[in-house]
Amino acid sequence: MAKDQAVSGEGGRKHTLSSTAILFIFLVVMVAAFSALSRDFYSIYNITSMLTNIAFSGIVAGTLTLVMIMGGLDISIGGNIAFTSCLVAYLYNLEKGPATGIIILIALLLGATIGSFNGFLITKLDLNPIITTLGTMAITRGMGYVLTKSRSILILENVVGFIGRGTIAKIPFPLLLFILSYVVLTILMGRAKFGRKIYCIGANQEAAKLSGISIQKIKFLTYLISGIAASLSGLILTGQSAVGMPQHATGVELDVITAVLLGGTSLGGGKGSVLGTLAGVLILGVLYNGFTMIGFRYVHIRVFQGIILILVVSLYEVREKKSY
Amino acid sequence: MLLEFVMADRLLEMRSISKRFPGVLALDGVSFDLEEGEVHGLLGENGAGKSTLIKILAGDYSKDEGNIFISGRQVDFHSPSDSQAMGISVIYQELNTLDALSVAENIFVGNLPKKAGLGTVDWRTLNRNARTVLDRMLVHINPKKIVGDLTVHEKQIIEIAKAIYKDAKILVMDEPTAALGEKDTVSLFNIIRSLKLQGVGVIYISHRLNEIFEITDRVTVLRDGRLTGTEKTGETEKGKLITMMVGRELKDMYPKREVPIGKTLIEVKGLNIKGIVEDISFQVRSGEIVGLFGLLGSGRQNIVRALYGIDECESGEIHIDSKPVMVDTPATALKRKMGFMPIDRKLEGLALTMTVSNNITMANIDNLGSGTLIDREFERKNAQKWVTDVKIKTPSLETDVNSLSGGNQQKIVLAKLLETGSRIFIMNEPTRGIDVGAKVDIYQMMEKLCENGAAIIMISSELPEILAMADRILIVSKGKITAEFGREEATQEKLLHAATI
Repeated sequence: MAKDQAVSGEGGRKHTLSSTAILFIFLVVMVAAFSALSRDFYSIYNITSMLTNIAFSGIVAGTLTLVMIMGGLDISIGGNIAFTSCLVAYLYNLEKGPATGIIILIALLLGATIGSFNGFLITKLDLNPIITTLGTMAITRGMGYVLTKSRSILILENVVGFIGRGTIAKIPFPLLLFILSYVVLTILMGRAKFGRKIYCIGANQEAAKLSGISIQKIKFLTYLISGIAASLSGLILTGQSAVGMPQHATGVELDVITAVLLGGTSLGGGKGSVLGTLAGVLILGVLYNGFTMIGFRYVHIRVFQGIILILVVSLYEVREKKSY
Repeated sequence: MLLEFVMADRLLEMRSISKRFPGVLALDGVSFDLEEGEVHGLLGENGAGKSTLIKILAGDYSKDEGNIFISGRQVDFHSPSDSQAMGISVIYQELNTLDALSVAENIFVGNLPKKAGLGTVDWRTLNRNARTVLDRMLVHINPKKIVGDLTVHEKQIIEIAKAIYKDAKILVMDEPTAALGEKDTVSLFNIIRSLKLQGVGVIYISHRLNEIFEITDRVTVLRDGRLTGTEKTGETEKGKLITMMVGRELKDMYPKREVPIGKTLIEVKGLNIKGIVEDISFQVRSGEIVGLFGLLGSGRQNIVRALYGIDECESGEIHIDSKPVMVDTPATALKRKMGFMPIDRKLEGLALTMTVSNNITMANIDNLGSGTLIDREFERKNAQKWVTDVKIKTPSLETDVNSLSGGNQQKIVLAKLLETGSRIFIMNEPTRGIDVGAKVDIYQMMEKLCENGAAIIMISSELPEILAMADRILIVSKGKITAEFGREEATQEKLLHAATI
């Protein structure tokens, strides 16, 4: 797939692609190292469960890549996920509550609403995306607390659980969603007109506007997609944990941004790739899982995460300067 | 002692200056000198090396080779402050005034007189000193006025005053009359003459040959980073300077051809933008290039931006093929087969971090395939066609645009315009800041478009270009079309005169 992309010609392709290749090599080295250090690491069971665990944040990292390539940002992801899980659990425990299918639909509609709200403020009122989504982040997480009265709501008879724990042909459902979302997003950004317009807006919004690209429409849709993806992640997390609670996914937006930046997308926009983000997500997943396996504690691994982010991003900077 | 006297005679001497940028030799052994009380003109096409030479003198760039002497003393500048300390002041085209502050504050910025003890600004002394400096230049501007309220010329005077107060011996003026009317130009020349009398040496950069003949004592011409010669102004003539500048006869530079003029493609009727432009009406026929000429701020830009649907207008009609059409966004303009070349390729024209091919097809994404996906083979073929036709020099279609030269970048902007399949072209300074070779390629493409029946609206500040390329020239002044000249009757003098009324 990587080779195929090299021919097409996307924004900043040459740099991001070769950087992506380096990231995947780094990933393979990490996997090899952890396999050597821990017998438990390299097993189908562990790898599958690791991938299933990162599925929920991986999906939103994929859609956040779109937002960031466009030069925007969405930090309402975590709040959105938490609110979705609370709403799902709340509806589930209502006497005469709606059917599961309806609940799932409502959950996705909630994400769409939050995404549209962000998109509306950012396009129509021209608000800064960081400020806007910082606002919706607080609103959504706050609403989660209000709705659940700050408690966790268990979901006992869990049909939503299929989204979190079910399997199709022995493959966990979240993992399927994870893979499917990256296939769709890679095609979207690599080959679709919509994705090309996102790159154009991120690279030079003024030039995109003069080229007849509808900035407002593309931006709105991109934030809408990010919102829907967050509620999908909320459904997965709710299913996996069998509980709806407002503390879910606290701080996940920062981890997701870390993964996107690791993948070579720049904060300024115009550059990056979904494949790069996939590498970023996997590296972070392997980092946590692997170090845990060989006996490090979570707090230590957080330090490593910070170091790796700074190292990799410095590397991008150096390569960038050299190429001119 | 004697030696010192002889050396001190020459205010500035730059000997065999060379400067290399990645991929280009911007200056190749250029020598330049300036006497006390002399106005020395510096002429050259864009990209000839004028600004590089000035930036080396100003301490913005460091030279790779050569020596600089000031009053006989060899100097080496490592920063702009080194250069300023030696009495060199540069007044750039984009003025560096602090618009929120007063005239007096602007002149003495960084060195405001303080009241003893308190350390607060001594306004009385400040304003008095400012008046003294302005009086010395024989101009009357109230030192308490806010600079943002001044005219361009008055702001320019403030910058000159700043230089004089700093005791500048060498004053560099970069296109100082580009945004001035006739009256202000006369006033500026009077100031320059008074500076001469005080022994200040002035390096005067301008494209306007008439001014060069009016104000300079000597003139130096650069071309492609090399010195083509230094002449005494009184002993040379226009044609010679132009040939020195361009390196070829004028008629070879502009490939204007006789093209049959067809029916009206676009007609603008009564375009109004409140407080900016008023009652603009004109038409452009197929095969025709209509030039819009005016000074900075005359409203030319506003007219074409409104036409293309970027800015809103109060009232007015656009007829394309004799039918009234609504153009409220660039997207609708493109649907009407109207394309737009923005004035600044880096700010509005190109996605610099994207590839040549992606940039060329940027305004035509929706037509790159029938469905939601881009037909990449189709895109590649289109891009390749324009790269060949417009003679874009690039290692590949997948090269990022920011690694190409200005001329090739400008050609990509043109290719992007062509890729939209438009018939009406708005070309805004189509050859700004590019080398002569690329210019000729772009002119040739414009002629080819006309032969194929396109209509072109061209804005250009370069008089020779607009005179040579346009079939008709409309003069825009203070938001109105004030005059129209046919190709045969238009001259530099007539255009400038009409534009400054």
